[in-house]
Amino acid sequence: MRGSATYLLQRLVQVPLVLVVVTMIVFALVHVTPGDPIQIMLGMETSPQAVEALRQQYNLDKPLPEQYAIWVANAVRGNLGSSIRQHVPVTQMIAERFPISLRLAAVAMLFALLIAIPAGIFSALWRNTWLDYALTGLSIGGLSIPNFALALLLIYAFAIKFDWFPITGIGSAVTSEGGLWGAVGPYILPAVALGVQQTAIVTRMLRSNLLDVLTQDYVRTAHAKGLSDRKVIVGHALKNAIIPVVTVVAIQFGYLVGTTITIEFIFAIPGLGSALLEAVVNRDFPVIQGFTLLMAAFFIVANLVADLLYTIIDPRINYA
Amino acid sequence: MLDGTTKKETSAVTPVTLAATLGRRERSGPQLALRQFARNKAAFAGAMVLALLVIGSVAAPVVAPFDPIQISLANKLVPPTPAHLLGTDYFGRDQMSRVLYGGQVSLYVGLLVVVIAAAVGVPIGLVAGFIGGRVDNLLMRLMDALLTFPPLLLAVAIVGSLGADIQNVMLALGIVNIPIFARLVRGSTLALREEVYVEAARALGASPLRIVFLHILRNAVAPIVVQMTVTFSSAIISEASLSFLGLGAQPPTPSWGRDLNEARRFLEDAPWLLIAPTAVIMLSVLSVNFFGDGLRDALDPRSWRDEGKRMKATRAVQD
Repeated sequence: MRGSATYLLQRLVQVPLVLVVVTMIVFALVHVTPGDPIQIMLGMETSPQAVEALRQQYNLDKPLPEQYAIWVANAVRGNLGSSIRQHVPVTQMIAERFPISLRLAAVAMLFALLIAIPAGIFSALWRNTWLDYALTGLSIGGLSIPNFALALLLIYAFAIKFDWFPITGIGSAVTSEGGLWGAVGPYILPAVALGVQQTAIVTRMLRSNLLDVLTQDYVRTAHAKGLSDRKVIVGHALKNAIIPVVTVVAIQFGYLVGTTITIEFIFAIPGLGSALLEAVVNRDFPVIQGFTLLMAAFFIVANLVADLLYTIIDPRINYA
Repeated sequence: MLDGTTKKETSAVTPVTLAATLGRRERSGPQLALRQFARNKAAFAGAMVLALLVIGSVAAPVVAPFDPIQISLANKLVPPTPAHLLGTDYFGRDQMSRVLYGGQVSLYVGLLVVVIAAAVGVPIGLVAGFIGGRVDNLLMRLMDALLTFPPLLLAVAIVGSLGADIQNVMLALGIVNIPIFARLVRGSTLALREEVYVEAARALGASPLRIVFLHILRNAVAPIVVQMTVTFSSAIISEASLSFLGLGAQPPTPSWGRDLNEARRFLEDAPWLLIAPTAVIMLSVLSVNFFGDGLRDALDPRSWRDEGKRMKATRAVQD
């Protein structure tokens, strides 16, 4: 356990280092390329003086390293600048939009686990039967369909053909008025579309882990003492097979938060993804920068949490 | 990723003894691999479907029944009919023709993404793994930083800064995939560096360049090729996503992702517009993945015999 602590500490120290590299990459990318945000904002027919004044206001007239230094100095004090387009502090935009994306990703993950854990167990329990083949087929399909295409199919089937689910309403006033369904309903279709890939990943993984564990001696012992297949799997094998799944869930969650863009776009969800897309189109530097920093940081933390969970759940693991 | 059950076991069986038992006649490595590949039905089917998709899109100017761009408002939003097998879109353009031409964009982007990622990632991995020490540390931290982005997010940021254009999509997706190749090749290099034949080559006075390219790279080719197929299929999905978001192929260029964005606007009136692009994206991803899985098995002689062993193991579990 001591070794693990040192290992995790080392990882923790690396986080700011990686973040610096990440922000430098984004900074260089955003600033080196042509396309002046001020010009885009003011349109083509403005006086050069007005453009120059605004450039000064956003420090865009300074040399690049200085701009980066200013940005970092502000960022560590919790100031990520203001949106050039919307004149709102980036931190405020994050505070408004991050919870929405987070909730969407959480519902998607919940859906994925609700389906994937039973599916993985059934697949392993009835391996090489029609059920296993059907679940495998579905998983492979889930891995190969782009989430936005699936989202459109779901909208057509469940919102247009059968008017079962609302397709808008996340983050709007309707949500708070409509009771439980008003709050949960709008999340269902986006979360399903977003979570199908994770469902497939977790199902496949749990199945193969279970099959691996099933060849081990203690499982044979459990069989030998007369336990049924089901009792062996649920009582003995599952405990060990689910450990790697926990890690994958943590990593995939970080990944989900960063990939909600297409889904937020389709369902007009006012989360991080849709704001980032808008910022990219308008070349709104502070927003692009702040959001990518946040998402990268979240992704790194999710990975760290995965490592931490790993050592907590499985005492055999020692990173020393 | 699709099949975690392929457990590699080290066995003493060489291709030669295997050939002796299988065919009583010695075959070369590639011949054996090809034989193994052809036996794998899923992989073979994947290769066939992929070939069809490639032929269909390359030969689109000959095969496509209509011009994919020519607007014909008299025919707008026609459901599938014998004349327009997949229906027409809002501008009266034949979907069949657009899907065929759209393959040119998607498959070409996929191919170039693989080329860019491998061309940059493989040398980085070789250098980092072979030289080691500080160089390794520096290169790998840089790769780690790139890997901390969810790939689509990084691609959006890159395309966003370079401008919405299919060329930039290729470049962005290429960059996003560099660290995957770099890490893979670095891992193989670290292992291969210690092989006896590398030591022998060094003792014979071979230059480092010769060792790296002739001895190490050649033996690291199999996992690289397999990774190429994985990257290819993920690039197809990413390109479709970016084009769907309006950051990739620009209208009126036919593109699977872009056409799904158009379909989105007429979901209620023209649901058929959804089917074809979704189906071809899935088909190409599936066929490439099956092809890649088959390739992995065919290129790894140790897995050839596993089939029998694994079946025995499963049977033991079931008994």
